[in-house]
Amino acid sequence: MFEILGKVLTPSLLYAAIRTATPVIYAALCCAVTMQAGILNIGTEGIMLMGAWVGVAFSYFSGSWIVGVLAGMVAGMIIASILALGSIKYRAAMPAICTGMNMLILAFTRFLLGAVFNVNGTFADPKINAIPRIHLAFLEGIPFIGEVFNDWCVTEILMIFVVIVLAYVFYKTRWGLRLRAVGKNELAAKSVGINVVKIQYQALIFSGALGGLAGAHLSLGYSNMFVQNMTNNRGFVGLASMWFGGGDPALSALGGFIFGLFESIGSRLQPYGLPSQLSLAIPYAIILIILAIAMINKKRVTEKKKKPVITQDV
Amino acid sequence: MSQYVVEMTNIEKQFGKVRAVTNGQFNLKKGELHSLIGENGAGKSTMMKLLFGMYPIDSGEIKVNDAVIANNSPSIAISHGIGMVHQEFMLVNELTVLENIILGFEPMKGSRIDFEKARSTVQEYIDKYNMDVQMDKRIDQISVGEAQRVEIIKVLARGADIIILDEPTGVLTPQEVRKLFEVLQNLLNDGKSIIFISHKLNEVMEISDRISVMRRGEYIGTVNKAETNEKELANMMVGREVFLDIDKCATKAGDRVLEVKNIWTSGEKELSKIRNVSFDVRAGEIVGIAGVDGNGQSELAEAIAGLRKVESGSILLDHEDITNKSPKEIRLKGFAHIPEDRNKMGVNKADTVANNLAACSLDETQYKKLNFILNESAILENAKQKVEKFDIRPTDPKIRVSTMSGGNMQKVVVAREVSLAQKFLLASQPTRGIDIGAIEAIRNILQDAKAKGVGVLLISTELEEVLSLSDRIIVLYEGKVAGIMNAEEANEDNLGVLMLGGKLEDTAKGGSH
Repeated sequence: MFEILGKVLTPSLLYAAIRTATPVIYAALCCAVTMQAGILNIGTEGIMLMGAWVGVAFSYFSGSWIVGVLAGMVAGMIIASILALGSIKYRAAMPAICTGMNMLILAFTRFLLGAVFNVNGTFADPKINAIPRIHLAFLEGIPFIGEVFNDWCVTEILMIFVVIVLAYVFYKTRWGLRLRAVGKNELAAKSVGINVVKIQYQALIFSGALGGLAGAHLSLGYSNMFVQNMTNNRGFVGLASMWFGGGDPALSALGGFIFGLFESIGSRLQPYGLPSQLSLAIPYAIILIILAIAMINKKRVTEKKKKPVITQDV
Repeated sequence: MSQYVVEMTNIEKQFGKVRAVTNGQFNLKKGELHSLIGENGAGKSTMMKLLFGMYPIDSGEIKVNDAVIANNSPSIAISHGIGMVHQEFMLVNELTVLENIILGFEPMKGSRIDFEKARSTVQEYIDKYNMDVQMDKRIDQISVGEAQRVEIIKVLARGADIIILDEPTGVLTPQEVRKLFEVLQNLLNDGKSIIFISHKLNEVMEISDRISVMRRGEYIGTVNKAETNEKELANMMVGREVFLDIDKCATKAGDRVLEVKNIWTSGEKELSKIRNVSFDVRAGEIVGIAGVDGNGQSELAEAIAGLRKVESGSILLDHEDITNKSPKEIRLKGFAHIPEDRNKMGVNKADTVANNLAACSLDETQYKKLNFILNESAILENAKQKVEKFDIRPTDPKIRVSTMSGGNMQKVVVAREVSLAQKFLLASQPTRGIDIGAIEAIRNILQDAKAKGVGVLLISTELEEVLSLSDRIIVLYEGKVAGIMNAEEANEDNLGVLMLGGKLEDTAKGGSH
């Protein structure tokens, strides 16, 4: 037993976990931005899938992964703008339009695969320019550090920066303060002259850019191809991770990392006789458990104190 | 330059069909505290929300520092140095005190908020007016009194010289009220002008320079504090001429139907809102509960009706213990309840009059077919009878309740509940916010219930309603029974003293009757 664990829990496990976790972490950050504005973005899955397709397509035609990633982000912003228009301007229920959008994009990307590349299900081509991995020669041979921190994909390194920048934006900038105020108490924000609708639009579009980046990283960094429904519910896992972190960038990223870690452990246990069905289920079960813990904790905090809040006028 | 910083003349404001303010007059001198008093719904809050630009005025004129304000809005009002502390705080619970104060006009340093500068600015206000607040605590971690000081600092930080406080003491403990008054005095000493909206006469008499009274949306008058007293103010507030006197029918009080024994219960915002309250109601009598709004009436009613947990003590209905039983169980024992807020609890506005009239009895066999399908025709038949008997208009039982006037909506509630009250009827604010005709009708209905031998507990903040209907009167003050007296001994003077927390010996000396 311990022998197996010793073989599974190696430094390279951490490296694998980071790789598996990064798309989920980006998705979690995408959800975190809208969560701060009080909007539950269930559309992350669709935004991500669109970003993945557009990323591959633009990388293929331009030959540049940078163009691919940027195009993926723009695609995400466009999808998010549609969601914003529907939910904010036309007051449709966010869960309904997001679910519709997710299904539409699942079918639309499959259609585009056939229409643009004339393939069915999978598009892989040497002309797709992948996001490069950074190999640092001086890290070679250093135990642990060399194994864990070398050969990171550019967007995996970028992910760390995005987490830091988001934390700064949320907690240190004017926009972030207003964003949080809008998310927690719209009326109070309105009463001090904040344009609530504008902030909500900005949050959704910003979130779209991150969701597009999540997708482009998935298709150009994590793998190097587009496969139909390749997000495979990572958007929802990201949503769960964000929920675990309460919308805080670092904690949401931690949630995503825990998922990635258990997925990696599961796949490494397979050769030792763990049924594959079980190993695939482990990370989702873990997500459920940590979500339950997060919810119990949240309930305890909210029940601690109830306060007068704005209820009515006249 | 006139002597006034604020002048509001001939203000009119209507919401739909409701005239919220007619002939509104108000002015404010620099450096004074001018109180605006009146009963609930007298239009005092509306008047000040008009000054703060939350609604446009229909006609009249608002001048601030001699400048006429047209197309008023909160941001225009703020730019003229007006700030308002609302009755319900406009604070984001999850943000810190400091973040709440600077929200909307954050000082910046490059791309980030200059929290150091914000901190020192807020510290200046804290020191200058002696209002201690903990800047790094979140709003949900501080007391209501402290949250209110945060609101005041928020207003000051936006440059207000004219500060409107809407019922600021309603949510405070007596100690917090003391603290607030100290802060207000410091603000006045610094040359700020304050408008204080209240219905608590003792507080108004303590801190005001001048006092204006409104009643039913109309301006009644303005007096100097030094030249008036609580009794005169109460007369102005209530208005003697509005007595809706009813010939009380003879009382044949029978057995005790409701016994409340030493009950304690908590409110939303305060623990022990009801403290050790005991009384009883006998069959065939009306017991009235008087008191200034917010002294525990709602909590008491909800506790009796099974809607709020009784923490200790017991409630007996016809000698059976109903403490903390479910509302349905209590109702099945012959209990009926006219809730204080018809919109929240009394009716389902989206449903028809007929369904609302049958709503509490749908489990009874007369309204069912095959034991699980609603018997529409029986429901309609019941509605037709009640509509006629209680003179509900319009008379079509199939129309939706939302299309009715407040008075008729209330009649639907009263009709349903009175018909169900076999032993006991709890009537909470049964005539609040409805027209005189409906008030009269509902009062007569309560009388009829009493004549049939039902025990009635009437909770009302309208003193004259309690006086004209009750056989016995209980005064609630800060969640305790301040006094119980028979209707013959009670009058507005001695009840008023009890309602404001005084002792009865005081009136005996100064009584005018």
